[in-house]
Amino acid sequence: MSITIRVNGTPQQLEVDPEMPLLWVLRDVLGLTGTKYGCGEALCGACTVHLNGQVVRSCVTPVRRAAGADVVTIEGLSPNAEHPLQKAWVELGVPQCGFCQAGQLMTAAALLKKHPRPTDEQIDQSMAGNLCRCGTYTRIRDAIKRAAGGRQ
Amino acid sequence: MSASPLLIPRRSFLRALNLTVGGIALGYYFPVEAQRPTNEPGKPAAPKPVAGSQAVEARAPGLNPNVFIHVGPDGTVTIVCHRSEMGQGIRSSLPVLIADELGADMAHVTIVQGDGDKAYGDQNTDGSNSIRGIYEDMRRVGATARVMLIAAAAQRWSVRAEDCVALDHTVTHRPTGRTLGFGELALAAGKLKVPPAREVVLRPVSELPHLGKPLPLLDAPAYVSGKAVYGADIRLPGMLTAVIARPPAVGGKVARFDGTRALAVPGVRKVIEVPAPKPPYGFQPWGGVAVVADNTWAAMRGRAALNVTWDEGPNAGYDSDAYRQVLAKAVSVAGRVARKVGDTESALKSAARIVEAEYHVPHLPHMQMEPVVAVAHVDGDRCEVWAPTQNPQAAQTEVARVLGTTPEKVRVHVTFLGGGFGRKSKADFCSEAAFLSRRLGGPVRVQFTREDDVRHDYVNAVSANRLTAGLDANGRVVAWRHRTAFPSISSTFGGKGTPGNDDLQQGVLDLALAVPNVTAEIGEAEAHTRIGWLRSVYNIFQGFAIGSFVDEIANAKSADPRDVWLEIIGPPRKMSLSDLGVERLPNYGQPLEQHPVDAGRLRNVIERVTRAAGWDQRRQRGRALGLAAHRSFLSYTAVVASVVKRANGTIGVEDVWMSFDAGTVVNSDRVRAQLEGAVIFGMSLAMYGGITMKRGAIQQDNFRGGGRIVRINEAPRRTTLDLVESTAAPGGVGEPGVPPVAPAIANAIFALTGTRIRELPLINSLSV
Amino acid sequence: MPPVPDNQLRAVTDFSVIADTKARSQALFVEASRVFLHPRCANCHPDGDVPAQGMEMISHQPPVTRGPDNHGVVGMECAGCHQDRNLAQARVPGAPDWHLAPREMAWVGKTPHQICEQLKDLKRNGGKSLEAIVEHNARDKALVAWGWSPGHDREPAPGTQEQLGAIVAAWVQTGAECPREEVRR
Repeated sequence: MSITIRVNGTPQQLEVDPEMPLLWVLRDVLGLTGTKYGCGEALCGACTVHLNGQVVRSCVTPVRRAAGADVVTIEGLSPNAEHPLQKAWVELGVPQCGFCQAGQLMTAAALLKKHPRPTDEQIDQSMAGNLCRCGTYTRIRDAIKRAAGGRQ
Repeated sequence: MSASPLLIPRRSFLRALNLTVGGIALGYYFPVEAQRPTNEPGKPAAPKPVAGSQAVEARAPGLNPNVFIHVGPDGTVTIVCHRSEMGQGIRSSLPVLIADELGADMAHVTIVQGDGDKAYGDQNTDGSNSIRGIYEDMRRVGATARVMLIAAAAQRWSVRAEDCVALDHTVTHRPTGRTLGFGELALAAGKLKVPPAREVVLRPVSELPHLGKPLPLLDAPAYVSGKAVYGADIRLPGMLTAVIARPPAVGGKVARFDGTRALAVPGVRKVIEVPAPKPPYGFQPWGGVAVVADNTWAAMRGRAALNVTWDEGPNAGYDSDAYRQVLAKAVSVAGRVARKVGDTESALKSAARIVEAEYHVPHLPHMQMEPVVAVAHVDGDRCEVWAPTQNPQAAQTEVARVLGTTPEKVRVHVTFLGGGFGRKSKADFCSEAAFLSRRLGGPVRVQFTREDDVRHDYVNAVSANRLTAGLDANGRVVAWRHRTAFPSISSTFGGKGTPGNDDLQQGVLDLALAVPNVTAEIGEAEAHTRIGWLRSVYNIFQGFAIGSFVDEIANAKSADPRDVWLEIIGPPRKMSLSDLGVERLPNYGQPLEQHPVDAGRLRNVIERVTRAAGWDQRRQRGRALGLAAHRSFLSYTAVVASVVKRANGTIGVEDVWMSFDAGTVVNSDRVRAQLEGAVIFGMSLAMYGGITMKRGAIQQDNFRGGGRIVRINEAPRRTTLDLVESTAAPGGVGEPGVPPVAPAIANAIFALTGTRIRELPLINSLSV
Repeated sequence: MPPVPDNQLRAVTDFSVIADTKARSQALFVEASRVFLHPRCANCHPDGDVPAQGMEMISHQPPVTRGPDNHGVVGMECAGCHQDRNLAQARVPGAPDWHLAPREMAWVGKTPHQICEQLKDLKRNGGKSLEAIVEHNARDKALVAWGWSPGHDREPAPGTQEQLGAIVAAWVQTGAECPREEVRR
């Protein structure tokens, strides 16, 4: 079955099982490996992408749900890691192993779009679905606030 | 004159100008333009020239004094990072140390990830060892190149080498001010004889410009843009993906299987049985049935469609509830003595008061974010492997064994690791990929699902610890007996389940005690699953038991826990083996003379952390503090945790203070990051973590229940770190932050609620 | 009335033994409340901002919260994880437009009497007439229907949707009487 999705601005026509999770379409079919597989059950957030601007866990999102829609992955968040969040992440040395960070950034980007100056509570509530085993949470909070501080 | 020094944090510039950025005190901020992505290890690394071969010289002209460094005529310095990057920031630390020793400017340094190769020496990225174990050796690597560049310059100028210095990518003749860049000297230096290591003199530490500073995370741009290549990101033409159904219990095997429905799933190519390994299991494949497909999803669906009947095997009777009782029994009787000072039994008999408690910590899972995965491509008697491995040489050995070839014919490329914590030192996932690649005749990726990763983990040992203290009429601790039982890691490799004396070096034998009568005894234990090691290993449960017990002694005699710690540790002193009452102390592989059991350093972190936490004002409404300390991996850590009862009735950790002494550190920012992470890691195992076994099988399967880990909304509001500045030899960093966290939390909970919890995870006893 | 297994609903005809219409109406509602208070339904009718999960009704993991319009907060929207149907492999339950019942439709910790009053109150039931309530219970194809097809190994609500529909219709027909406050089952 043929499905067309616009991924990071580029239309992709795909011949895939409509039930194949978007994660595996992105990774195995399109070769966009920035989005990660961490749990397969929407528990960890490593697979987070934007579907028509909304955060979804791509590991449980069947690709048919993205038919005719816009998908943005970490590769499409900004052209050269210039998103204020990406810059803040680098400045504060947020990542350790880095595996969860694409998901963290995609969720944080959606958060800042809706709440440009989020409170501590809003940050914790919105980011709670993104696990980090290395424990970079303190720096994630700081980096979100730094990016929200308005530095461009 | 070099390009602007990219690694100097803006802070030091601005401090000179008396400015801050946006009014925020700069902790660890770096100018963005300072970050250059380093080589991504997924691509084929440029072959690192080996010293002394003319043919190789022609290919890569320049200076090749050893396998770690190359200086090219264009001035590029290539440094091989031969340890795996799993979040500890080794790629941003070790190469900088080498560059400093060499005198190179990081702006002209390219970092290459080393493949598995004996020539690099030990590549096992484990045991918090990648700085402390090779600090001088790696400095010598850089110093050797420096000496040769200086020699080449001295020759060119006909001056004395002693009058030349190498700094900022340039050799300068001090008396005349003449300079030559490293690039200009590389060819000439490359023709010189490489001096023997013992003749190479290291710089004074004061000449290492970046030592101990907060250094930029060089791979951060790759991480934040999705460009960093991890194990599952490797894509090869014709690569198939395998998802394997493995026996639920270790030692189990396939009784029969039917792959018909699996083969009917679109994309599935083959269903192959993986033979069951014979003990000792080591890093062998787990056995089972592999479904091999065009893509990961098809392989997962195919595996779900398999029909497999298991022969449960010899460990089918392994039940964690029952085993808890077995261990409790083991520590209820006298065991084999591993540490002895004085006469503990008599002292306990005549003690005015006895304090006794028993602690249980379950098996613990790794739960690293990246499930294990490996790609292997067998071609004749050779094999190429790409894997997020902590130990590429172990992967070479295991793959060679599976294929019946030699390790030299196995090339192992190390990708970025999405977390390791010890799981990825084990080469099982590499050996499985190699087995299937040979069967299929092309590249195969073995992808563990998250469920596979949890259910087929090398779990940290389950343990029981029974501590008994005797107090005299004045309340002084005069006797200390520690009985411990846990299945040892050796059992996975053919050794006994009952721990050896050396296993107690982690927290039991190296505990500084001034108590006149001390005994540590080992109880019997058998292993019924693959026991492995998890970030700080046995120190987790030894630290929990000891850290809680000191608090219990304090409570029993209505004393301040900090005072009891200081009382039992005794005065500042370096303890000999006979002081400790032990016959030998492996001391994490390093000489006792260089890394003594230093009571003063343990006291120091306790004093500092309690001061920082306002310990003397610890009794406050609505919150309580708990303290614990531990020596591990040659570093000293003390933690104070503050807990509160939240409006919804759950207990939360609001604040954590940690005082940490690792001697000399290379990259203070990554040290801080490791400690911040260790707090969360310790919280997770304290509050939620726990593997349960039924019929020999792990019951957990994902980030829930016993696999649950702390989320951002549960993280402490504040984590305050105190790094003790020290010129002592480097101690470990990656692991020592973990052990005192759980007991500090449990102690704080006792102070808050009056409930003493002696078994982890805490969630089994109260709402957290 | 004779006992019935936990996973079954009584038939409407079973209630004809109750002669008094008002009493019969009340009893019918109590029967319906066995569905409403079953964790499969009550988990998403919390008396607060956090749904529950599982038969033990523990706090939903990952931690989610109601948000401004019952669909979760940014980054943790219900539909970020829950799809339009149950997922077999991922175990995540799904139905079209997965979301929390509004706060005024909270059932957890409520008595059948309180739920009954709530259900009849136009200000708290989304402006539904009694006929609309019957329709909603009997024929909604999304979240209501899901209660009986929860997927994976989740225990469904008692009986069937058809049976519940009949009970609610009979309740309305007999005057939509609310049980007394102290009645539980």
